[in-house]
Amino acid sequence: MAKISELLPRSAIVLDLQSKEKFEVISELVRPLLATGAITDEAEFVSAIVRRENMESTGIGLGVAIPHARTKAVASIVLAFGRSDSGVDFSSLDGKPSHLIFLIAAPEEQKTEYIMTLARLSKLLRKDEVRIGLNKAGSPDDIARVILQHES
Amino acid sequence: MERILLYVEDTPGMPAAVAWALKLAKGMSCRIIALAVIDPAAPRRRDAPTSDIEERAWGLLYEIEDDAFQQNVRISLLLEPGEPLPRLISLSSSYDAELIVASADCRLTTSELVRQSSRPVVFVK
Repeated sequence: MAKISELLPRSAIVLDLQSKEKFEVISELVRPLLATGAITDEAEFVSAIVRRENMESTGIGLGVAIPHARTKAVASIVLAFGRSDSGVDFSSLDGKPSHLIFLIAAPEEQKTEYIMTLARLSKLLRKDEVRIGLNKAGSPDDIARVILQHES
Repeated sequence: MERILLYVEDTPGMPAAVAWALKLAKGMSCRIIALAVIDPAAPRRRDAPTSDIEERAWGLLYEIEDDAFQQNVRISLLLEPGEPLPRLISLSSSYDAELIVASADCRLTTSELVRQSSRPVVFVK
Protein backbone atom coordinates (compact mmCIF):
# COMPACT_ATOMS: atom_id res chain seq x y z
CA MET A 1 0.00 0.00 0.00
CA ALA A 2 1.28 3.45 -0.95
CA LYS A 3 2.55 5.79 1.73
CA ILE A 4 0.73 9.04 2.49
CA SER A 5 3.73 10.96 1.18
CA GLU A 6 3.52 9.08 -2.12
CA LEU A 7 -0.17 9.90 -2.55
CA LEU A 8 0.30 13.65 -2.09
CA PRO A 9 1.62 15.40 -5.21
CA ARG A 10 3.68 18.53 -4.45
CA SER A 11 1.42 20.42 -6.88
CA ALA A 12 -1.56 19.66 -4.62
CA ILE A 13 -0.04 21.32 -1.54
CA VAL A 14 -1.53 24.77 -0.88
CA LEU A 15 0.34 26.55 1.91
CA ASP A 16 -1.90 29.59 2.06
CA LEU A 17 -5.55 28.78 1.46
CA GLN A 18 -7.46 31.86 0.37
CA SER A 19 -10.95 30.53 1.02
CA LYS A 20 -12.62 30.89 4.41
CA GLU A 21 -15.65 28.64 3.92
CA LYS A 22 -15.34 24.85 3.82
CA PHE A 23 -16.92 24.20 0.41
CA GLU A 24 -14.78 26.94 -1.12
CA VAL A 25 -11.72 25.37 0.53
CA ILE A 26 -12.68 22.00 -0.94
CA SER A 27 -12.92 23.55 -4.42
CA GLU A 28 -9.53 25.20 -3.90
CA LEU A 29 -8.04 21.79 -3.06
CA VAL A 30 -9.78 19.92 -5.87
CA ARG A 31 -8.42 22.33 -8.50
CA PRO A 32 -4.78 21.17 -8.42
CA LEU A 33 -5.88 17.53 -8.37
CA LEU A 34 -7.60 17.91 -11.75
CA ALA A 35 -4.24 18.39 -13.43
CA THR A 36 -2.98 15.09 -12.02
CA GLY A 37 -5.69 13.17 -13.90
CA ALA A 38 -6.71 11.32 -10.73
CA ILE A 39 -10.11 13.03 -10.71
CA THR A 40 -11.94 12.31 -13.95
CA ASP A 41 -15.19 14.16 -13.28
CA GLU A 42 -14.91 17.31 -11.18
CA ALA A 43 -18.64 17.93 -10.79
CA GLU A 44 -19.36 14.39 -9.64
CA PHE A 45 -16.43 14.36 -7.23
CA VAL A 46 -17.36 17.71 -5.67
CA SER A 47 -20.94 16.54 -5.37
CA ALA A 48 -19.78 13.39 -3.51
CA ILE A 49 -17.61 15.44 -1.16
CA VAL A 50 -20.42 17.91 -0.47
CA ARG A 51 -22.84 15.06 0.25
CA ARG A 52 -20.41 13.60 2.79
CA GLU A 53 -19.80 16.96 4.41
CA ASN A 54 -23.53 17.37 4.86
CA MET A 55 -23.76 13.97 6.59
CA GLU A 56 -20.56 13.90 8.61
CA SER A 57 -18.19 16.15 10.45
CA THR A 58 -14.84 15.54 8.80
CA GLY A 59 -13.12 17.81 11.30
CA ILE A 60 -11.35 15.34 13.59
CA GLY A 61 -10.32 17.93 16.18
CA LEU A 62 -6.89 19.38 17.04
CA GLY A 63 -7.28 21.84 14.15
CA VAL A 64 -7.41 19.08 11.52
CA ALA A 65 -10.04 18.20 8.90
CA ILE A 66 -10.03 15.35 6.39
CA PRO A 67 -12.79 15.85 3.81
CA HIS A 68 -13.00 12.68 1.72
CA ALA A 69 -15.03 10.81 -0.85
CA ARG A 70 -14.97 7.46 -2.63
CA THR A 71 -16.57 7.73 -6.03
CA LYS A 72 -16.47 6.61 -9.66
CA ALA A 73 -15.22 10.09 -10.53
CA VAL A 74 -11.76 9.16 -9.21
CA ALA A 75 -9.24 7.00 -11.08
CA SER A 76 -6.67 6.49 -8.33
CA ILE A 77 -6.25 7.46 -4.66
CA VAL A 78 -4.82 10.93 -4.33
CA LEU A 79 -4.49 13.56 -1.60
CA ALA A 80 -4.39 17.33 -1.48
CA PHE A 81 -3.27 19.43 1.47
CA GLY A 82 -4.14 22.99 2.41
CA ARG A 83 -3.16 25.21 5.32
CA SER A 84 -5.33 28.03 6.57
CA ASP A 85 -4.02 30.66 8.98
CA SER A 86 -7.48 31.88 9.92
CA GLY A 87 -8.99 28.39 10.15
CA VAL A 88 -12.10 26.92 8.56
CA ASP A 89 -15.22 25.56 10.23
CA PHE A 90 -15.44 21.83 9.45
CA SER A 91 -17.93 21.16 12.30
CA SER A 92 -15.33 19.49 14.50
CA LEU A 93 -16.70 17.95 17.68
CA ASP A 94 -14.25 20.07 19.68
CA GLY A 95 -15.83 23.18 18.12
CA LYS A 96 -12.49 24.53 16.92
CA PRO A 97 -11.65 25.67 13.37
CA SER A 98 -9.44 23.51 11.16
CA HIS A 99 -6.08 24.88 10.04
CA LEU A 100 -4.65 21.73 8.43
CA ILE A 101 -6.91 20.24 5.78
CA PHE A 102 -6.22 17.02 3.89
CA LEU A 103 -8.58 16.08 1.09
CA ILE A 104 -8.73 12.41 0.06
CA ALA A 105 -10.15 11.25 -3.26
CA ALA A 106 -10.55 7.52 -3.85
CA PRO A 107 -12.04 5.28 -6.53
CA GLU A 108 -15.35 3.61 -5.70
CA GLU A 109 -13.91 0.10 -5.79
CA GLN A 110 -10.92 0.74 -3.50
CA LYS A 111 -12.72 0.72 -0.16
CA THR A 112 -10.00 -1.05 1.83
CA GLU A 113 -7.21 1.24 0.62
CA TYR A 114 -9.44 4.25 1.23
CA ILE A 115 -10.21 3.24 4.82
CA MET A 116 -6.54 2.42 5.46
CA THR A 117 -5.43 5.77 4.06
CA LEU A 118 -7.94 7.62 6.25
CA ALA A 119 -6.84 5.62 9.31
CA ARG A 120 -3.12 6.14 8.73
CA LEU A 121 -3.53 9.84 8.05
CA SER A 122 -5.73 10.35 11.13
CA LYS A 123 -3.17 8.55 13.30
CA LEU A 124 -0.36 10.63 11.83
CA LEU A 125 -2.16 13.93 12.41
CA ARG A 126 -2.81 13.24 16.07
CA LYS A 127 0.91 13.48 16.72
CA ASP A 128 1.80 16.93 18.07
CA GLU A 129 5.15 16.97 16.27
CA VAL A 130 3.50 16.32 12.90
CA ARG A 131 0.99 19.16 13.29
CA ILE A 132 3.73 21.51 14.51
CA GLY A 133 5.89 20.52 11.54
CA LEU A 134 3.07 21.06 9.06
CA ASN A 135 2.26 24.45 10.58
CA LYS A 136 5.89 25.56 10.40
CA ALA A 137 6.72 24.18 6.94
CA GLY A 138 7.79 26.84 4.46
CA SER A 139 7.40 24.93 1.21
CA PRO A 140 5.61 21.94 -0.33
CA ASP A 141 8.89 20.01 -0.05
CA ASP A 142 8.96 20.73 3.68
CA ILE A 143 5.39 19.43 4.02
CA ALA A 144 6.31 16.23 2.19
CA ARG A 145 9.40 15.85 4.36
CA VAL A 146 7.43 16.18 7.61
CA ILE A 147 4.97 13.51 6.50
CA LEU A 148 7.65 11.15 5.23
CA GLN A 149 9.68 11.54 8.41
CA HIS A 150 6.78 10.49 10.65
CA GLU A 151 5.28 7.74 8.54
CA SER A 152 6.04 4.34 9.96
CA MET B 1 -33.67 11.61 20.35
CA GLU B 2 -30.82 13.53 18.69
CA ARG B 3 -27.57 11.76 19.55
CA ILE B 4 -26.54 8.14 20.08
CA LEU B 5 -23.07 7.39 21.43
CA LEU B 6 -21.78 4.17 19.86
CA TYR B 7 -18.90 2.66 21.82
CA VAL B 8 -16.52 1.02 19.33
CA GLU B 9 -14.23 -1.92 20.08
CA ASP B 10 -12.64 -4.55 17.89
CA THR B 11 -14.76 -7.51 19.04
CA PRO B 12 -16.70 -10.19 17.12
CA GLY B 13 -20.00 -8.70 18.28
CA MET B 14 -19.24 -5.15 17.09
CA PRO B 15 -20.82 -5.43 13.60
CA ALA B 16 -24.18 -6.33 15.17
CA ALA B 17 -23.98 -3.32 17.49
CA VAL B 18 -23.10 -1.06 14.56
CA ALA B 19 -25.98 -2.39 12.46
CA TRP B 20 -28.44 -1.95 15.34
CA ALA B 21 -27.26 1.61 16.09
CA LEU B 22 -27.39 2.62 12.41
CA LYS B 23 -30.90 1.24 12.03
CA LEU B 24 -32.07 3.10 15.12
CA ALA B 25 -30.36 6.34 14.06
CA LYS B 26 -31.87 6.12 10.59
CA GLY B 27 -35.33 5.45 11.98
CA MET B 28 -35.12 8.36 14.41
CA SER B 29 -33.15 10.71 12.13
CA CYS B 30 -30.52 11.22 14.78
CA ARG B 31 -26.74 11.51 14.76
CA ILE B 32 -24.30 8.83 15.83
CA ILE B 33 -21.14 9.72 17.67
CA ALA B 34 -18.83 6.74 17.19
CA LEU B 35 -16.28 6.63 19.99
CA ALA B 36 -13.15 4.49 20.30
CA VAL B 37 -10.99 4.79 23.41
CA ILE B 38 -7.36 3.72 23.52
CA ASP B 39 -6.07 2.90 26.95
CA PRO B 40 -2.32 3.63 27.02
CA ALA B 41 -1.99 1.63 30.23
CA ALA B 42 -3.68 -1.52 28.93
CA PRO B 43 -1.45 -4.57 28.60
CA ARG B 44 -0.87 -5.50 24.97
CA ARG B 45 0.94 -8.05 22.91
CA ARG B 46 4.56 -7.29 22.04
CA ASP B 47 3.68 -7.31 18.36
CA ALA B 48 0.94 -4.71 18.70
CA PRO B 49 2.46 -1.32 19.48
CA THR B 50 0.21 1.58 20.44
CA SER B 51 0.46 3.14 16.98
CA ASP B 52 -0.93 -0.03 15.35
CA ILE B 53 -3.79 -0.15 17.86
CA GLU B 54 -4.57 3.47 17.10
CA GLU B 55 -4.52 2.84 13.35
CA ARG B 56 -6.81 -0.15 13.77
CA ALA B 57 -9.21 1.92 15.88
CA TRP B 58 -9.33 4.66 13.22
CA GLY B 59 -9.91 1.97 10.61
CA LEU B 60 -12.91 0.65 12.55
CA LEU B 61 -14.29 4.17 12.95
CA TYR B 62 -13.96 4.96 9.25
CA GLU B 63 -15.58 1.64 8.27
CA ILE B 64 -18.55 2.59 10.44
CA GLU B 65 -18.56 6.08 8.93
CA ASP B 66 -18.65 4.60 5.43
CA ASP B 67 -21.57 2.32 6.37
CA ALA B 68 -23.39 5.28 7.93
CA PHE B 69 -22.85 7.35 4.80
CA GLN B 70 -24.26 4.59 2.59
CA GLN B 71 -27.36 4.52 4.81
CA ASN B 72 -27.76 8.31 5.02
CA VAL B 73 -27.06 8.40 8.74
CA ARG B 74 -25.25 11.43 10.13
CA ILE B 75 -22.11 10.55 12.07
CA SER B 76 -19.14 12.04 13.90
CA LEU B 77 -16.00 10.12 14.83
CA LEU B 78 -14.10 10.41 18.07
CA LEU B 79 -10.91 8.68 19.16
CA GLU B 80 -9.79 9.41 22.69
CA PRO B 81 -6.95 8.21 24.88
CA GLY B 82 -7.70 7.14 28.43
CA GLU B 83 -9.35 4.54 30.58
CA PRO B 84 -12.37 3.39 28.54
CA LEU B 85 -15.15 3.34 31.13
CA PRO B 86 -14.59 6.78 32.69
CA ARG B 87 -13.94 8.33 29.25
CA LEU B 88 -17.12 6.84 27.84
CA ILE B 89 -19.21 8.09 30.73
CA SER B 90 -17.61 11.51 30.70
CA LEU B 91 -17.96 11.95 26.91
CA SER B 92 -21.55 10.75 26.86
CA SER B 93 -22.24 13.64 29.18
CA SER B 94 -20.06 16.19 27.33
CA TYR B 95 -21.74 15.44 24.00
CA ASP B 96 -25.16 15.13 25.56
CA ALA B 97 -25.79 11.66 24.16
CA GLU B 98 -29.24 10.36 24.97
CA LEU B 99 -28.35 6.70 24.54
CA ILE B 100 -25.19 4.60 24.73
CA VAL B 101 -24.92 1.56 22.45
CA ALA B 102 -22.20 -1.05 22.93
CA SER B 103 -21.55 -4.58 21.85
CA ALA B 104 -22.53 -7.21 24.43
CA ASP B 105 -19.02 -8.66 24.15
CA CYS B 106 -17.23 -5.36 24.75
CA ARG B 107 -14.38 -5.41 27.26
CA LEU B 108 -16.00 -2.90 29.58
CA THR B 109 -17.44 -4.07 32.87
CA THR B 110 -21.01 -3.81 31.68
CA SER B 111 -22.57 -3.73 35.14
CA GLU B 112 -20.30 -0.80 36.07
CA LEU B 113 -21.25 1.07 32.91
CA VAL B 114 -24.95 0.67 33.67
CA ARG B 115 -24.42 1.64 37.30
CA GLN B 116 -22.28 4.71 36.60
CA SER B 117 -23.96 6.08 33.49
CA SER B 118 -26.75 8.61 33.77
CA ARG B 119 -27.76 7.62 30.21
CA PRO B 120 -29.62 4.48 29.19
CA VAL B 121 -27.32 1.79 27.82
CA VAL B 122 -28.13 -0.87 25.22
CA PHE B 123 -25.85 -3.88 24.82
CA VAL B 124 -26.34 -5.55 21.46
CA LYS B 125 -25.79 -9.32 20.97
